[in-house]
Amino acid sequence: MFKDLFNIIVKEVKELVRDPTLILGMIIVPLILFPLMGFAMQTSMKTAEESMRNISIAVIDLDRGSVAENLTTFLITLNVRIVEVDDLNLTEAVNYVQQSNLTGLIVIPSDFSNNITEGSKAELDVYTVFRGGGIAESTSSSVISALLETFEERLVFQKIGEKFPEDPETVLDPIKTSEKSIIKGKSVDVNPGVLFGLMMSQSIGMPIGIMMLLMFAMQLAATSVASEKEEKTLETLLTLPINRFTILAGKLTGSMIIAVIGAIAYIVGFTYYMSSFMGMMPAEIGVDLAAIGLAPTPISYLLLGVSLFVSLISALALAVSISIFAEDVRGAQALVGPLTMLLIFPMIFMMFTDIYALPLPLMIGLLAIPFTHPMLASKVAFTGDYLTAVIGIVYVSIFTIAVLYIAARLFGTEKILTAKLKFKWLRRRRRMPAEEP
Amino acid sequence: MSLAIEAESVVKIFGSIHALDGLSFYVKPREIFGLIGPNGAGKTTALRIVSTLLKPTSGSVKVLGRDVVNQASEIRGLISYLPEEAGAYKNLSGYEYLEFMAKFTIEDKQLIRETVEVAAKISGLEERLKDKVKTYSKGMKRRLLVARALMTKPKLAVLDEPTSGLDVLHSVHVRGIIKQYVEKEGVTVLLSSHNMLEVEHLCDKVALINKGKIVAEGSPAELKKNANASNLEEVFAKVVGFV
Repeated sequence: MFKDLFNIIVKEVKELVRDPTLILGMIIVPLILFPLMGFAMQTSMKTAEESMRNISIAVIDLDRGSVAENLTTFLITLNVRIVEVDDLNLTEAVNYVQQSNLTGLIVIPSDFSNNITEGSKAELDVYTVFRGGGIAESTSSSVISALLETFEERLVFQKIGEKFPEDPETVLDPIKTSEKSIIKGKSVDVNPGVLFGLMMSQSIGMPIGIMMLLMFAMQLAATSVASEKEEKTLETLLTLPINRFTILAGKLTGSMIIAVIGAIAYIVGFTYYMSSFMGMMPAEIGVDLAAIGLAPTPISYLLLGVSLFVSLISALALAVSISIFAEDVRGAQALVGPLTMLLIFPMIFMMFTDIYALPLPLMIGLLAIPFTHPMLASKVAFTGDYLTAVIGIVYVSIFTIAVLYIAARLFGTEKILTAKLKFKWLRRRRRMPAEEP
Repeated sequence: MSLAIEAESVVKIFGSIHALDGLSFYVKPREIFGLIGPNGAGKTTALRIVSTLLKPTSGSVKVLGRDVVNQASEIRGLISYLPEEAGAYKNLSGYEYLEFMAKFTIEDKQLIRETVEVAAKISGLEERLKDKVKTYSKGMKRRLLVARALMTKPKLAVLDEPTSGLDVLHSVHVRGIIKQYVEKEGVTVLLSSHNMLEVEHLCDKVALINKGKIVAEGSPAELKKNANASNLEEVFAKVVGFV
């Protein structure tokens, strides 16, 4: 049996690896596409940064007072190029700003300095040029208001300093909070915001990786059975002296091997893509996850591995069972397509919410989907909630056994040759000649 | 001497279609038995039942003394089936395909190599066997598949349209190989064909099948004599009442 199984696995892997569309879609595209996306993102962020360094603002100073002068001097000290356009009216100035590729226009009204000195609210008119919706444009538009806010803070500080010359800072910010986290009933001297930031990469990355792996596996397994039908090799295979379950197991294993390779390619590409963002962010405050009990232990890795393995088998068996009803590869992919919803729903919920905080019916619905459990296991691996992972593994195992049984039954009978699900829209697309009964 | 195939009152129903309607035929060992009939007559269904791919709705079929329903796996070790529209794995080379197939019936590595060499000779594909199957023409693919079906010297070869898609010269070559395998290796052959000339020259015994039933049976010479016809096409037309 093992000799036959090995023979089938080798054939499956050879067939899949030599399929140019598969290699292109599963391995080359992620390894090239994601880094390219990362490069594009890095380039656009650098452009945005550069545009922030080259801020040029036109100013119509109708005030000419001391505070207005302070404002322009302040902007100049922050490397902002100021273009004085006092001799232009508003319409002319607006036109000039647009044509000269400046960032924006500030109009300082005549009573600006006077109002501030007397403690009244002063007004400023700020015009920002809208050139498009990209990152560079959004940052350059927000930079003017950020500069003005800084100037405003300076003014407030000065005013407070006049009344409380000893310690104006304390007046402005009278409470100092020191944020700590509680982890597994213990106080840890780490800001929860920093901790959430660190954990985010795990809670986003793992569900995406798991979804990718399972999605590949399903597509591959479905294609593997359907292509035997399409290429008319299945009949011959089924008359050979091999146990039908061996054929099924060979197909599942072959698909699993390629799916794992494909998922690794995706994860490598995706990691590079994510790192292109992370590289732009300020360095995190050093937090040792192991020291605060949030690093995965060998047991959590083991549970995650087992959970992933049983889920992979169940995804493969499910795809095979369904693809038995397809006549060709396109039909199989159409049948398996809706199953990917079972992967996407849990992934979205896992990425953005705590599953246990959801309304009860939704929570039950999500937990009933077997593919929720490896994603859940990847989360609880960090918190040490082993029981949840174990319950998930037991549930998925039962589901897997049931689906494998159905797949084996279908493979063992003539259903594999005769079962067909016919769809009107599929029939319209393919005009297959009627088969001789 | 026990029979190679005993099909008794075989009925096969697909939904509302009666593909076989009480089909009975018997094939002796080392005999080339031909099933001929129009499209939809039930030839392929009969061949699929003999090859253990389908189960009869009623009736019984014994292949080499074994029941197709209860002893299917034993039968699979003794037969070889060539489907009419069979394909081969397009991303494997011809050699790899033959080797893959041979490994299921042969244990010894040396014997596997020898078997593949035999298949190489039967197919006549020579150096092209190193190329991937997807580069083969329809005829080349058929020769590869015929070679696959015969290379392991099965006790029974079930061949659905063995020369379908082959040109005249290769058809003659394949027919010669089938004859040779029956004479030298003691293989029994059950085949179906649309080519009456092929059936007349190749088969020891022929059964005419129409609407899932055998309507006439005998050696080509007997059939022609009984129907007072000059060839099998004429016999068939007369038997089904076409003329």
